[in-house]
Formats: sequence, C-alpha cells, structure tokens
Amino acid sequence: MPEASLAHQDNLNLTRGGLLEDYPVPSSGYDEMFSAPGQLRSHWHDMARALEEIGGDELERRHSEVQRLLQTDGVTYNTYDDSRGSLRHWLVDPIPLLMTGEEWSTLAAGLEQRTRLLNALLADLYDQRLAIRQGWLPPELIYAHPGFLPPCHRSLPAGCRSLIFHGVDLARGPDGTFRVHGDRAQSPSGAGYTLENRVILARALPMLYRDAPLRRLASFLETERATLTGLARHNPDSPHVVLLTPGPNSPVYFEHAYLANYLSLSLVEGEDLVVRDGRVWLKTLGGLRPVDVILRRVLDGFCDPLELRGDSLLGIPGLLQAVRGGHVALANALGCGLIENLGLAPFMPLLCRQLLGEDLQLPSLQTWWCGDPTECSYVLANLNRLVIRSILSNGPCWDGAQLDAAARARLIERIRTNPYQFVGQEPSSLSTAPVLQEGRLAPRPVTLRGFVVADGDGYRAMPGGLARVSPGLDTLQASLRNGGISKDWWVLAPTPQRHVSLLRQSYGPIVVTRDGSDLPSRAADNLYWLGRYLERLDSTARLLREALGRLLEWEQDNTDERCLDDLLDALDIPVPPVAESPRARFFNLRQELLSLITDSEHPGSMQALFEGLLRTGRAVRNHLGDDSWRLLNRLQHSIQEPPKGLSARQTRESLEEELVLMAAFSGLNNETMPHHQGWLFFDIGRHLERVLHTLELFKLAFVTARNPGLPLWEVVLTLTDNLTAYRRRYRSALHPTAIIDLLLFDEGNPRSVGYQLRRLQRNVGRLHRPISSTYHSAEERLILESFTTLRLADIETLATLLRDSTSSSTELTRLLDAVHAPLLKLSDALTHSHFSHAEVPRQLITMRP
Amino acid sequence: MKYTITHCTLYHYSSDVALCHNLARLLPRETSWQHCQPSRITIQPRPALSAERRDFFGNRVLYFAIQDIHQRLEVNFVTKVQVLDTRPFTPSSPSPAWEQVHKMLREDPDPEIIDARLFMLDSPFVAVHPSFLDYAKPSFPPGRPLLEAMTDLNRRINREFTYDPHFTTTATPLDEVLSERRGVCQDFAHLGIACLRSLGLAARYVSGYLETIPPPGQPRLVGADASHAWLAVYVPGTGWAEFDPTNDCMPGERHITLGWGRDYGDVAPLIGVMTGGGSHSLEVAVDVEPWVEPVDHDEEKGKKDKAA
Repeated sequence: MPEASLAHQDNLNLTRGGLLEDYPVPSSGYDEMFSAPGQLRSHWHDMARALEEIGGDELERRHSEVQRLLQTDGVTYNTYDDSRGSLRHWLVDPIPLLMTGEEWSTLAAGLEQRTRLLNALLADLYDQRLAIRQGWLPPELIYAHPGFLPPCHRSLPAGCRSLIFHGVDLARGPDGTFRVHGDRAQSPSGAGYTLENRVILARALPMLYRDAPLRRLASFLETERATLTGLARHNPDSPHVVLLTPGPNSPVYFEHAYLANYLSLSLVEGEDLVVRDGRVWLKTLGGLRPVDVILRRVLDGFCDPLELRGDSLLGIPGLLQAVRGGHVALANALGCGLIENLGLAPFMPLLCRQLLGEDLQLPSLQTWWCGDPTECSYVLANLNRLVIRSILSNGPCWDGAQLDAAARARLIERIRTNPYQFVGQEPSSLSTAPVLQEGRLAPRPVTLRGFVVADGDGYRAMPGGLARVSPGLDTLQASLRNGGISKDWWVLAPTPQRHVSLLRQSYGPIVVTRDGSDLPSRAADNLYWLGRYLERLDSTARLLREALGRLLEWEQDNTDERCLDDLLDALDIPVPPVAESPRARFFNLRQELLSLITDSEHPGSMQALFEGLLRTGRAVRNHLGDDSWRLLNRLQHSIQEPPKGLSARQTRESLEEELVLMAAFSGLNNETMPHHQGWLFFDIGRHLERVLHTLELFKLAFVTARNPGLPLWEVVLTLTDNLTAYRRRYRSALHPTAIIDLLLFDEGNPRSVGYQLRRLQRNVGRLHRPISSTYHSAEERLILESFTTLRLADIETLATLLRDSTSSSTELTRLLDAVHAPLLKLSDALTHSHFSHAEVPRQLITMRP
Repeated sequence: MKYTITHCTLYHYSSDVALCHNLARLLPRETSWQHCQPSRITIQPRPALSAERRDFFGNRVLYFAIQDIHQRLEVNFVTKVQVLDTRPFTPSSPSPAWEQVHKMLREDPDPEIIDARLFMLDSPFVAVHPSFLDYAKPSFPPGRPLLEAMTDLNRRINREFTYDPHFTTTATPLDEVLSERRGVCQDFAHLGIACLRSLGLAARYVSGYLETIPPPGQPRLVGADASHAWLAVYVPGTGWAEFDPTNDCMPGERHITLGWGRDYGDVAPLIGVMTGGGSHSLEVAVDVEPWVEPVDHDEEKGKKDKAA
C-alpha cells in the first residue's frame, strides 16, 4: 500500500476544515473509512484528498446531477406491493466504498470457494444426496424448504453445472471480518445496477474516476458473456442466448433490459418461448428460432407449468424436459433456489470439508437452525437478543428485542409448530461507510452484494459489486426491496487502471441480419401499441389544448364559445346545459377538462393513455434508444407528477410542452430505429391511430357538428396541424373544397387521410409474412379497400354537397364510413397474422383415482 | 396373480390444440412383489417426441409431446403385471411400538431411515393440523405396535367415512374431508397420511389399481374400474407397510402398484399443458383383467376396454 507511509500529519491536515471534519466515527463497530476518530484508514487517503478538493457543495451538485442522470436513464426499481406509481427511482450515493486489493483477494477467494461449494451441494442434492444420507445435513432442512424441487432430480445432463452466476450478500462485522448473510441463485439481481452506477458516477465525477486505481468491471461481464455462450450445446459458433425476464412488472426489469442490451442477448418473456421437438424456440416474426442458452431471471417454480408450478403464466411448458434432453442450457439450473436456504449457514464448514475437502474461507453470519431441538432451545431461550428469520431468502423477519409479550408468544408458537422453517441469527451489526449528507460525510450501515460467475472450469468474482446503505442508522438491513441507497464499491488496484469503455468488442463471427425477422412477436405487438398509444396521447393532448384555449378565451371576453361544444363532443365530455350560469359553466368545464388529464380511472385520460404508453414502452425497453427513454422519462415527469394546483392556463402550457416531447420522441424513433420490422409496427400503429382519429374529426366537423361552419373548420385544421399548410397554400378564407382536399385526398400532405393510407399500405406490404403467398394478406386487402374507396370519391360532388346543405350529408357519411370500416378491422387482422402467440397454455383436467 | 391392465384416456377439445406436453405415470413399477412386462402404449395423434425416465421417487414417467393440431387425444396403456403374495407385511406382522418408530426415525443414522424422513413432512396436498392428530389418537394409545394401531386407524377411516365420488375434487381441502366424513380413495389415503405424519411417522401415497372381477363369493370392491390409491407407513428395518382405508385391508395380490410419492401430486396418472383447445372433456376407462389362460392365448382379451 503506497499510501500506508503517509505521515500522520498529512492525515490530520486532510480532515481539518471540511468535508471530513467531525465525521462521527461510531464508537462501536467497524467504520470503513476511519479506524478511530481522526484516524483515516490508509487506503482512503487519496480519496479523502480528492473529496476535500471537490468540496461538499460541489459534491452535492454532482450528486443531484447523478440522480438526474439516473432518472433520465430510467433506472427504476419496482416494488410489487406498490402497484400504482410503482416505479421507485434508484438512489445512488456519490462516495465510493473503497477496499484494498489485498482484502479483496481474500474475499474473492472466499466467494469463489462458496460458489464452488454450493454448486457441488446442488449437484449432490439433485442426485446422490450423500449430504443427507451421510448425515452432514438434516433431511428436513432440505426437504421442508420449498426450493427443493423433486422434478429437478437428475435433470442436468452430465458435465453441466447448476450455478453459473451467483449473488452473495455480505456484511462486515465489528471485528472487520466479512460474513455471508445470504445467497441469491434464482434471479441474482444487482450486477446491472452495479454497472449503471459505475457508468453514471464516472460521468458525473470524472475527477474521481479518471485514472483512478480501481479494478474495472468490464472484463467480468466479458467473462459472463463468454461463459453463457460456452454453455451452448448447439451452434457453438453463434449460439442464441436469451435473457428470460418475468416482464415489465418485475421489480428489476430495468436491469434485465440493461443486461440484455449490454450482453447482446434477446430479452424474452415466457410466452415468447415454446418447446417443440424437445428444443426451446423463440417465436419471432420470421417463425421459430432455436434458443441455445437461457439466462434466467424467473424464479424456479414459475419456469415450467408442466412439471413445476402449474399455475405459472411466466413459464414455458416442457422446459425441464428440454433441459434433460441437453438441448438448452439454463443459467442457473432449475432447482438452484434451495441454496438460498438461510438454514444452511451452520452446516457450511462441515459441507465444505466433506464436499470440497477444504476449510471454509468465508464465514456466515452466526445462525441457529430451529429444526435441531438443541439449537431451537437456544434460540427460544435467547429470543430477546436474536433476530428470527424464515429460512426463505425473502421471508419474514423479527427482531427479538423489539417484540412485545404477545408477539413473542405468537412467534414462539409458530417456531414450535414449524421449527424447520426458522432460524435464529446473531443481530447483524453492520460496518459503516461514509455517505454524503448535506455537504458532509456521515457514517451509515452498509451491506454488500458480491457476484461470482463461472469461468472455464472454475469461478471468478466480480471486483466490486453493489454496496447498499440503510437510510437510517437503526435499520436492520438495507435491502433492494426496501429501497435504500446504493453505492459504488471500488476494489483498489496497485496502479491506475485505464478506463475501458463498457461497450464491448465483438466476440467472434456474427451473422449479419438486417430485416429484423427475428423480432419476437410479442415485441412487435408492443411496438405496434406503443405507436397507437403515442398517437392517441398526442391527439388527446391537442384536443385538450384547443378546448382549454377556447375556454380561456370565452372566459375573457364571453365571445363565441360554440366550437367548445364540438370539442367537448370530440373529447366525449357531456356538454353542460345552457341554463348554467357562465361562471358555474366555466368551472364545471375546467374541472371536466382537467380531470381528463389527471384522472387515471378514466380510460381516455392523458394519465391512462400515458400508462399504456409507458407499459408498452417498458416491454420493449431494449428497442428504444437512451435518448428516447430520456424523453419518455421527461414526459412521465410532466404527465404523472405535475405540480399541484395548476391553473387552466398553466395546464395548457404544459400540454404544449408535452406535445413537443411527444413529437421529439416520435421523431427520434424515426431517426434512430432501423426501419425494419420493429419500426414498421411502431409506424403502422401510429398511422392507423392517426387516420382513424382524422376521419372521426372530419366527421365531427362536416357531419355531426353542433355548430358547423368556418370556426369549426379552422379548429379541425389546427387540431390536425394543417392550418399553416392551408394558409400557405391558399392564403384565403376557408373553402370546403380546399379543406376536403387537404384533409382527405392530398397524399403529399403528411397529415391527410390519403397520406396515412398510402403509408399504411406501403408499410403493411413490407411486413414479414410467416407464409409466403402471392395473394394479398387480409391486412393488405383491408387497406386496399379503404384506400380505393377514398381515391374513387369525387371531390367536386362532395364539396357541392357540403356547400348546399348541411342536412344532405348522407353521401359524405357513407364515404367516411366506407373508408373507416375496413380500418377498424385492420387491427384485428394484424393481431391475427402477427401476434397470435397470445394464447396462454392451460392445464389439462385430470381424472381422480 | 397375473393381470392385464388397460388404461384408456380420451380428451375431446372444442377447438384446435396446437401443442401439448404431457407426463404419464401409467407404467407400473417393478418391485420385489410385482413384475411387469413391457407396456404397449398407443397415443393418437402420434407424439412427436416421447421419453421415459425414472422420477425422484423411482417411478416410471413417460413424457410425450403432441405437435400436430388435434381436437382429440387418446392415450392407451396396456401392461401385463404379475403380483406376488410377497409384500413384506401381513396384518399379523410384528412391529415396534409407534413411539419407538418415531424415535428411530428421528435418531437412527441408517440412510434408508434418513430417506424415509422426507415422508414425515408436509407436502402440497397434505399439511398436518391438530385435528388430524385428534382423529388419529384413539388408534394410537401409548406403546401400541405401529401396525396394530394403523390397522385400527385404517378400519376407522373405512367405517366412519362415506365413499362419495361426488363430494370432493382434487381441490377439496383435507380438513373438509375430515369434518364431512366423505371422500374417495384419494382423500382417504391423504387422510391416513395426514394422521400418521401428525404423529411424527413417515407415510407415503401409493397410486395403482385394484382387480376388476371379484373372486367368487366375495363382494365387489370399491375402486375397481378406475385408478386406485392407498397409503403406506414406514417401519424401520423392514420397509413400507401398505394400507387401503377404502377397503379396510392391507393390499395384497389384487393391488397393482403404479408408483408412490409424498401425495397425489407426485404420482398423478396423466397431466398435461396444452395451447388452444377451448373447453375440453375427459373420459377414462380402466380395466384390470386377470389372466386365466396361458399368456399366449390371452393377447386378444387384454385389448378389450371396459368402460368405467
């Protein structure tokens, strides 16, 4: 450690006068930064100096910058129990947590040994079960844990490993020793967040990160990628690796999308996959594409409704059989959830000696498994100072010291009835690490999650990982689920490390594909609806903006308000009776219009539409660029978190802003998404929605209007963004023939019905068709029908009709309906041809004995 | 006794099924008292893939996948089985006191006894509850030999419960079976298992068949012409003693064993997951026919299906 020789004097200079002054080193326990008040640990010297140089105020500014970057990147953590407004933003503290290289080597060796050991244990428990039969483990510890899945018995082909990627929760005790608090094997999340933290912090604090002597993370992920690829039994040169996610409702969906992009994997859900001929296939627009490796982030029980949980909608029927056949490799193997069992802790030293012939390097938190009568008595006798947990990794937890008499009695009863399900644990006194608090550093309890990945025949630990601090000092344990703040965990290297771009080099030969026919059908479905929601949100915002504008004008000078009634019709808001006093009428209408923005219960409200937009957007997270995602986040902020008590005028202004954001989002997608299958669906969704809306508006203005005439025509031109085009072209008063031409027939005007139809026709024609045929598809025929009707219509007759009488609008109605009706069927036809995977597998009924 | 067992299952769907994955536990397992000839399996439409394996409990499982579009699925298993009168226990076999058995299960390091401890624990269909203990207690006074106590419990379940195929489904909770005193063989087996487990004993569920034609002069037994189920209790040192509470007996030559597990869920005869299909209906026909002739002349008889 070069810093170790730094003079004590230097050390004191650092702490005098700034950020570190009065850092309240806890009197008991282990602080990561200070060994005693005023005694900075030597490996923190450079960091402390750098932090002092930056200063508290600047750090706070940078911290806000970090949070802003995270928010615009859309880094969120969902919680299941909080269904509405469920996206909790990821919080990061800007002060890294430092660890010396020496300490890391020891810890890494311990982590790698632990993964080897647990892998060996899984191999044994799903085959010979020597650990149980030889008495190293009590059978109840394994058999009573729901993670033990008999169908997984001998399901792995010879030579396959169960554990490929392993997460380990760690904390440092008062004596400075790291202890394991838990294991994560089914869906070990956090590596993606670790990466994102590093990227964002390096961007916001370049002075700390540039040339910093810290071990970089990129090579660990390269190893993960190489390992996953190496698992494939087929196509060793370019295997198809997918990341299986439970979907956008998963609390860690962001990470799934992030990792899928980073590791170049297809992001898929259970319903995207199917087992046929004993293999796993991805349902794509181009047909079925074989899958060789699945990086799995769905819990064991939900993966195969045939053999595991029959009620699972997330799984793939027949998956376990495909695994047995050796045709698909899973990381991690099914059944690995049993190593998340907290009751294993006391048995780890013996297991390590028996299974590996080694001494256990990394101790666990002191744990007593209540399934053993002696241990159980100890736990019950010491209930008031122990922490009681279920053996399930995410199960309930009781702090014995906090229980009142009644709760204690209930808990004792529960333990006595079901002793196998509980452990007692030494209360974890966590080490503390500095976090930024109002321009100062303050100590907070910290836990770590380390990651280990298979590497060749062995395992390799990530140099660093996710550090999390509790918001307060007294929290039992910081957890991802309970929120908390994360930190970047640095492992120091002896010399400055070159900053490596986290963008990877290619790994080998690549099959160049362009047409996007390997797009999962579900992704295509979501992109189509993303387009529709975006356009519907856009047209609703335009209607609301116009209506609010009219309302405000009317309030000012009580002039013509007639167009307002027609706008209310278009928005499906009941027109209030004329008998109302103007003032009451104003407030009523304002209320109605504002609620159409904020009331998420109303299916047509901006809120509800945006939720649909966001849901479909999240489901295709990996198809949208970072900038698009930033725009969506800004839209979300504006629509879902508006300041309280906005006036009608301010609301109208924010609608303007939102329209600009939507236009930017849509433009950006046009500019950045390759114009292949995915984009085609997005574009078809948008233009189908737009043509339907335009036709409805046109009908409103020329057929069903309460107050037909020039003012309303002008409103319609404004709503469809045609007013400028009209003025430039005609520079004159509004003329029905000209309006009809511009709105319906002018195929050069991107806002006309004719243009939308031509675009739909072209794009639908370019869609990949599962079965090649010389005939037009149903979708193509529908568009052709609509388009032909429009093109055959005689504009002069129409204009005459309009001029002559408002009552003789039947001809126009007939035309509009004839154009409209086939388009209404188009959506179903598209669904049938391209997204018909939606059918969910079901259980067969069974006969009882 | 020698039997030809024919188990026919027929599914009808109201709309097309595009894909279906199935697991059949319809192949009888080999035991010291039961020998099986290779089964004749006919599945229509023909499976694109099928594979037999042994499950965790050693039962034979056939996986098959149908990939042709179909509205009708027919699954027929025909197996010739010889059942010997050599099961390890008879009603008069001696056995240790039940508390002694509990103690051995807890303490004996013999791997076979350790394996049996899986069957002392709750399983998806059988969770212990004080009411099962209360029900079992009168049969298990202190010091009573395990088999004697179990014979008594077996008889009580048989006498105090009504066989009622319309009362329960696989989803009916076991405490409802207990409180209503009604059910079918599956429920009675689960009930016996729950009672034994609540006493700290090891009990498992056995799936199988019962001979169709009653011997002359004896009443026809309930559970014929269908799958049957009973239970077994573990006696350390000797093995598993079987009891059929539905018929108040210990299974003998006329009980054909398919397989066993913690409860019904581990040995369901035929399960599947399909895509499509709309609503569907199911017919099952089981026939257990003794060989009265030498094997060669009996081929044709075995094919006849008798509707249940």
